[in-house]
Amino acid sequence: MKFFCATIGLTLSISETVVSKLILEGRKHYPKEYGGILVGRYSDDSKACIVEDTILPQNHKSSRYAFERGKEGLAQKLSELYEQTPRLIYIGEWHTHPDSAPFPSATDKQAMLQIANDNGVTIASPVLLILGLNSTSYTLGAYLQFQNQLIRYEQQD
Amino acid sequence: MATDKTKHLKCVLDSHKIQKEQALLDKHITKKDEIKAALKEEYGSKMYEPFNSGSYAKHTAINTKFDFDLVAPYKRDAFDTLKEMYNAVHDFLHKKYSDEATVKKQKVSIGLEFFADEDGHVVKVDVVPGRELNQDQYKDDNNINLYVHSQLGTIPEGSERLKTNPKAQISNVKDHAEKESVRHDIKLLKIWKVQNGKKPKSFFLELITIKAFDKKDITGDLWDKLKAVLEFIRDEVKTISLPDPGNSNNDVADTLTDVEKSDLSDDMKYMLERIEENSDNIKLYFKVNPDHPCEDKMEENKYNVKREGVSAPPATRFG
Repeated sequence: MKFFCATIGLTLSISETVVSKLILEGRKHYPKEYGGILVGRYSDDSKACIVEDTILPQNHKSSRYAFERGKEGLAQKLSELYEQTPRLIYIGEWHTHPDSAPFPSATDKQAMLQIANDNGVTIASPVLLILGLNSTSYTLGAYLQFQNQLIRYEQQD
Repeated sequence: MATDKTKHLKCVLDSHKIQKEQALLDKHITKKDEIKAALKEEYGSKMYEPFNSGSYAKHTAINTKFDFDLVAPYKRDAFDTLKEMYNAVHDFLHKKYSDEATVKKQKVSIGLEFFADEDGHVVKVDVVPGRELNQDQYKDDNNINLYVHSQLGTIPEGSERLKTNPKAQISNVKDHAEKESVRHDIKLLKIWKVQNGKKPKSFFLELITIKAFDKKDITGDLWDKLKAVLEFIRDEVKTISLPDPGNSNNDVADTLTDVEKSDLSDDMKYMLERIEENSDNIKLYFKVNPDHPCEDKMEENKYNVKREGVSAPPATRFG
């Protein structure tokens, strides 16, 4: 799947395999929310972001309307991916909205702003994927935290 | 250098996003709410809740044409005739707003164009009075009759019964416009209409775009999809039927005369030919809103890193 952010001219790519993995993990926890972090890479010209995989949290709390991702073990796993070839880096977050549209809530917007401004995060513009899903279908919404705004990508294919 | 047509169209769409004229949008919403409250105060139990049926409600709005349509549904016994209803609502709005707006009778609506404010902003709201067909029936099916004040395509002036269902019209367009491709092409056609002073009503363009997507297998990038819709209009508009989702007996295609349909077909033909000859010509038909340019700035945007090294994202709560 390819997304384009017309407002700022940046693209986001995510393979069907990764999307399927997110759906699978999301459905395991349905009807509660669930999520994780996204790892991938940027293109040489830094105009494209490619999602390569997800890392699922070792600890989390969730309910039908909230998901709290813990950080236990994430730094270690991200260090390993950073050292491997090709290098993969943290590029953002994903979580599900069970039986609901993939639009960011006020909590989601606040969370992404905090992540972008966190000293432990080395990227300036984290991606947010929201997977609106039920037991039979899903809708994927993609967003980018860019210069203090959460901007929606538009799907290209 | 040749123009990247899809990139240009993306920029055109982006520059026409209503969020880029938030102050003007807010003024329209405020004024619409004010008119709605005034109508409710004046007519009380004689009417049902007025509602917005314009492009903003249908998610197909652009920021260079900000018409808000406010449907005012009246009960059957509120007026003896539709003409009486139309004139009464006009007279009420004229009395209340003529000091601050031009109030004029239009085809089925009463147009209010407020004088420019200190920011140079002009707010336009069209009030569409309608009356339920039978006493209390509106609550069940949302059908109303409109009064046709002046000729609407082939529908004659003074027609007493233009039955329609604005809520069904809104949901039909809104549901189709959830598909990004349809929404983009509707907006581009509206931008073309406004920038080139063309005739078709927005509702006509919405329905013919939806029909093009229904009838043709439209794929590819933004330009490929727009081109397919333009070709569909070129080939089909002279004979097409566009049943009103609010009343299948109304053919929205009838809002254009045969000559106007022929002109629209020719417009599409010439536009396609000229863009085919030279991709730069797309900029003649679909212009970036100069108040909100995007191309230069886009070149500078990147996925930046604050520093090299491994991220350690904090624990985070989502909702």
